[in-house]
Amino acid sequence: MIQSHLISLVLFAALVSLVFSMLMREDPRARIRFGLMSFAAFVASAIVAGWLMSPFPS
Amino acid sequence: MADTPTAAVVAARPAAAVPACLLAWLLPGAGHLYLRRTGKGLIFLGAIGALFVLGLFMDSRLQMAVSLDDILASLFSLAQMAIGLPYFIARMLGYEAGRVTSVTFEYGNTFTAVAGLLNILVVLDAYDVAVGRKA
Repeated sequence: MIQSHLISLVLFAALVSLVFSMLMREDPRARIRFGLMSFAAFVASAIVAGWLMSPFPS
Repeated sequence: MADTPTAAVVAARPAAAVPACLLAWLLPGAGHLYLRRTGKGLIFLGAIGALFVLGLFMDSRLQMAVSLDDILASLFSLAQMAIGLPYFIARMLGYEAGRVTSVTFEYGNTFTAVAGLLNILVVLDAYDVAVGRKA
């Protein structure tokens, strides 16, 4: 189905961030801000981790 | 700052805590729908349901390996089972084996397990809503 690692990562980050924002914040504006920050953190940390692992052989 | 009564306290329904938690486990978001938190309930149903279904389409295995022989496999199975009815329905529909040769097999496993783990948080949130700790 989904073969792209990046699309899988983005979908995962978006759905988990959405649930986290609904669970951890009550105010709608705070939810949006938290959700966006969480999404950015998921994607950025995965890309940084991938970049750090890139020198190692598969 | 002085405490003021909030909508959450006013709307507390302690007697509804057990059925809300049970419904929340059976179907993501159902506990919140039962507690009349329609928006939250629908978002949980959509987001967690999408994670689980995407995981199935990524060839996840829905294993049922609850034993003391392999603790990690047992914990993984329990995480997947935490999504409730969708897990058992998917197994009945023949999705239990997964496809280990698929390139997305591990992604699928992660999606289905995280869907179950998120549903545990949603069950706890439903309890908090029912007893008036959250709106």
